[in-house]
Amino acid sequence: MDMRAPANANAVTPRNRRRLPVGGWELALTGLLAAVVVGFGAAAPGFYTGPASLLGLTENFLPFGLVALGLSLVILTGGIDLSVGAVASLSAVLAAQLWSRFGVDIWAAAAVGVALGGVLGLVNAGVILRLGIEPLIATLGTSFLYGSAAVAAAGAEPPSGFPGGFTALGTGTVDGVLPASLAGLVPIQLVVFAAFAVLFSALVARSPFGRVLVMVGYSPDAARYSGIRTGRVLVTAYAVSGAMASLAGLVLASYYDAVRPDMGDVLLLTAITMVVLGGVSIFGGEGTVAGVVVSVLVLGFLRQGMLIAGFSDMVTTMLTGAILLASIAVKNLFNRRGTGLANQIWAMIRRPEPPRANPS
Amino acid sequence: MSAAAARSPAASRPSWRERRELVLVAVTAASAGVVGLVNPGFLTFENLRFVALNSVVLSIVALGQTLVIAMRGIDLSVAPLMGLSAMVCGLLAQSHGLPLWGAVGIALALGLALGTLNGVLVAALNIPPIITTLGTYSLFGGLTFLYSDGTQVDQVPPAYAAFGNAGPLGLPVPTPVLVLVLVTAACWFALNHSRFGRAVLAVGNNAAAAYNAGLRVTAIRIQVYALSGLLACFSGLVFVCYTGSATVTTGTGDHVELQSIAVALVGGTLIAGGRANVVGTVLASLFLSTVLTALVFLQVPPIWYSAGEGLMILVAVRGGTRRAGGTA
Amino acid sequence: MPGLYAAQGIRKSYGTVQVLKGVSLDLKPGRMVTIMGENGAGKSTLFKILAGQVPPSGGTLSLDGAPLALASPSAAHARGIYLVPQEPALLPELSVAETMFVGALPTRRGPLGRVDWTAMRARARAALDALELPIAVDRPARTLSIAQQQQVECAKALLRGCRIILFDEPTSPLTSHEVEHLFSIIRRLRADGCTLSFISHRMDEVLEISDEVAVLRDGLLVDVVDRPSFDRTRLLSQMVGRPMKAVPRRSVSNARDEVALEVRGLSDGARFHDVGFSLRRGEVLGLAGLVGAGRTEIAETVFGIRPAAAGEVRLGGETVTGLDCHAMIRKGLVYVPEDRARHGAVLPMTITENVTSGLLERVRRRAGLLSARDETRISASAVRDFRVRCAGLDQTLRELSGGNQQKVVFAKWMTTGPRVAILDEPTRGVDVGAKEEIYEMIDAMARDGMALLVISSESEELVRLCDRILSVYEGRIVAELSGAGITPAAVARSYLTAAAPSGGVAA
Repeated sequence: MDMRAPANANAVTPRNRRRLPVGGWELALTGLLAAVVVGFGAAAPGFYTGPASLLGLTENFLPFGLVALGLSLVILTGGIDLSVGAVASLSAVLAAQLWSRFGVDIWAAAAVGVALGGVLGLVNAGVILRLGIEPLIATLGTSFLYGSAAVAAAGAEPPSGFPGGFTALGTGTVDGVLPASLAGLVPIQLVVFAAFAVLFSALVARSPFGRVLVMVGYSPDAARYSGIRTGRVLVTAYAVSGAMASLAGLVLASYYDAVRPDMGDVLLLTAITMVVLGGVSIFGGEGTVAGVVVSVLVLGFLRQGMLIAGFSDMVTTMLTGAILLASIAVKNLFNRRGTGLANQIWAMIRRPEPPRANPS
Repeated sequence: MSAAAARSPAASRPSWRERRELVLVAVTAASAGVVGLVNPGFLTFENLRFVALNSVVLSIVALGQTLVIAMRGIDLSVAPLMGLSAMVCGLLAQSHGLPLWGAVGIALALGLALGTLNGVLVAALNIPPIITTLGTYSLFGGLTFLYSDGTQVDQVPPAYAAFGNAGPLGLPVPTPVLVLVLVTAACWFALNHSRFGRAVLAVGNNAAAAYNAGLRVTAIRIQVYALSGLLACFSGLVFVCYTGSATVTTGTGDHVELQSIAVALVGGTLIAGGRANVVGTVLASLFLSTVLTALVFLQVPPIWYSAGEGLMILVAVRGGTRRAGGTA
Repeated sequence: MPGLYAAQGIRKSYGTVQVLKGVSLDLKPGRMVTIMGENGAGKSTLFKILAGQVPPSGGTLSLDGAPLALASPSAAHARGIYLVPQEPALLPELSVAETMFVGALPTRRGPLGRVDWTAMRARARAALDALELPIAVDRPARTLSIAQQQQVECAKALLRGCRIILFDEPTSPLTSHEVEHLFSIIRRLRADGCTLSFISHRMDEVLEISDEVAVLRDGLLVDVVDRPSFDRTRLLSQMVGRPMKAVPRRSVSNARDEVALEVRGLSDGARFHDVGFSLRRGEVLGLAGLVGAGRTEIAETVFGIRPAAAGEVRLGGETVTGLDCHAMIRKGLVYVPEDRARHGAVLPMTITENVTSGLLERVRRRAGLLSARDETRISASAVRDFRVRCAGLDQTLRELSGGNQQKVVFAKWMTTGPRVAILDEPTRGVDVGAKEEIYEMIDAMARDGMALLVISSESEELVRLCDRILSVYEGRIVAELSGAGITPAAVARSYLTAAAPSGGVAA
């Protein structure tokens, strides 16, 4: 191979087809999104009653998307953060208490909440790195610590009834900035999510941080031997995940105009499902933010469509679980080039291959 | 990273495992003693019986979890499975007078079927165990919700209550405790002296090597998840028998999945797989039951219980890696 | 004597890539057949098919004339065929005895089917004794060295009644002592009538142990040579498909006066002690020694990826002791690690991403993001300079041959403009042709004034490359060779005499 064509080596101009931000998986998801929206629009009365209602539906699920964006960084490193739900609850409860008990301005309190989320993420990273505990177990443990703290901080009657400006974050639309024809159409949540989606996409695909993040995800050892301070990368990823979870918690608080110590619990499973369905490998390294964004919309509209069609919340949660499992199963069946021991064994199980008629 | 640390040569001291069990017994006895000094009500026979019974339900789940972790897996779905079984058996008994043996059959069948589902998803479809059981967690929880249809169990037939609380043949030891002893013995024998158990450990050590050695890795994985489901559902039945109640949050509300992982790890099973300690698991759940009951006696607000469990899991994993690694 | 294992027209394709294009090979009892060939020639695939790990796409296997279909490795074991992998897969928490019996644990009679630990230990002991292996059967498997793991695998093969034993490149992780031990086991098995085959890149070993050499090239068997007609040059040219020139020792030294790297009294408190040397610009300094002598640990400590317990490292006169490798790289010291797949490169990432990963700062930014154009520029010139054969810069490293992967790793580091480079086994897993290219690159780097520290377990390689060679034994530098004193024999002698009890240097 090497030896046969040394003379030609320099003659070939190596092409560099830049890795597109979207690939087959993302396109398939986009098709699915179209099918979901059109399908429910046709089948479920009340799902589509005009562009405003369709965009308005996103307010119900974009907090999940915010968590998914942060979580996708952690999963790209090959880790997992099971504490996002508890972080969202704790931050929202503490911010609300700051506002109601100590009279702190609601926006300042919210900023403190997001910062707290970052700190809780740092604690996760500390437990993982300093104590050498696997992310799965570490964040499972801290999620119970944070959850308990949220219950304790919430007290018997958690605060509610936030100022109008704050509730607009969850339920308002962008007016004034956009052309008049779009007034009352675009939810503030959607703008926030879109901004973060663009930011995270650029971050993962083309920023130096994203590059080392992916490298750590594929091979922490090789990253370390390349002089990458992997600890810092992980700390950043978990801190961002925590901060995004907090932001989601605050958006939820604004949306419900109240806080509850268990309000974040619903976020975890759906957010993981969004990340994994979006094409991010649970083993790390592989995946794009674009895929996660599309899968947020797919799952979100699916969920809203089912609720509008009259299914209970529990049934839609079951369905989310089923989709999570099915999406990985399908991916594994069609794409066996991932990493990990499991794939190796999978390859072994798949034997015997059909013999190939291949005359040589 | 913890896996690598856990495999350094210092872990070879065989005395370590024996010590773990002694330590657990000593710590449990000491905490019971201390609480007894503060509140003598803790050391009454009735209360100790309650502590023991309480630990039985967790122990049975945790034994299944121990097998799964020994195989380098994890099963979060044990909590909703336990709840599902408690709900199904309890409701059938409460409203249709299902005989006890029928309930046992239903619990075991349910556990086998749903545990096998976990196993197939993990082993045959190659979905990481944490994701699989997180997904089935919501599936099984949803089943409980659909099945209960807003009702709950608050009374079970006398035969159930007797099975859950009294001893057989007038013995002072409640039947569930005896059942636990049997199940523990069976698990201990299986892990330490049967081909199946050694195969489970081999898979936990190195699945590819186990496959090359001719072990049917996929089948073993499915069987272990099936066993875990079976034990979780059986413990659900024991739970509904001795408490006489079940709700949609049975199992999940107490975070049995977390508790079972915690006691397995505290008991000396390696999170990286390949080494398990069945007796340690049971002693650790007795310890946890003692501590949780003690917190009630010491009037600690219940909201901090799950924080305590979270802390326990971190300390247990940390302790396990340090002791095994010998370096950090 | 039974044990004639024949392969007829074996083919194997992965997707559109044909790895084996119809290979026929006879393995006979009492004979050792060596498979040689460049990386990617299909040697390992052939072995995996012979051992039932991979099904062939076409062709037939037969054992003593009867056709054979192998569904799994265990089916192969049942037919007496055993593959000893290069680095046997460990069952770290189990005892040595149990790892030998995994999948076939002996049980006592009775309804419980209890595992018979006593019988298991005794039989394991007997199998190890039969090969004169003094390994305790109750040891946890994780405490075994790679050589011991291979030895245990041999005993395991016999224990399972396997008489056809295949070794997949067994010697490359072994020291020459251990290779000798392995060969004595192999000779014993051969005398016993076992059917043997192994894969090797090392010509000396091949000539020493083989009865027959089969040369694979591009998925085809191009030559089968019997012992009497062994010829080094013929085998080499068969492997690469063109005549090889003899490898000369470099005569000119590029060493300048200026000291680039100075190490004094370096210890890590465990694996090596009081190591000191200095390396001048343009000089190529070799570290010779047995595998496990502590050479990699020394290199990694200098590089800053392992902590030092004592000592000093100076880079161009500046003390850099205690800096991490992130800082070291930016000070101009780089390290090409021994284990390319784990440490050197990220195989699922592209050539470009790997090349720039050594020093991401050098890529221009636009609004804080990496400029794709600048990355392509860096990567294209690296691919050109380091003669990487690839279809495109966006190919992942996984798609490249071992030699080309190594060139990418070289490019990743050398394009950062280092003053000192440490190369740890720079040609491991690299085929013969690419090896020579890498040697030329190392020569060129030295000419440019770079200071190079080369670790190699192949004496010929050190002789070919180095101006000066330090011999390491048990974590200490025990000898220094330079000038005309550098010959393969002298290099090997320098650490082997230290290893011998009479050497007395090691204490």
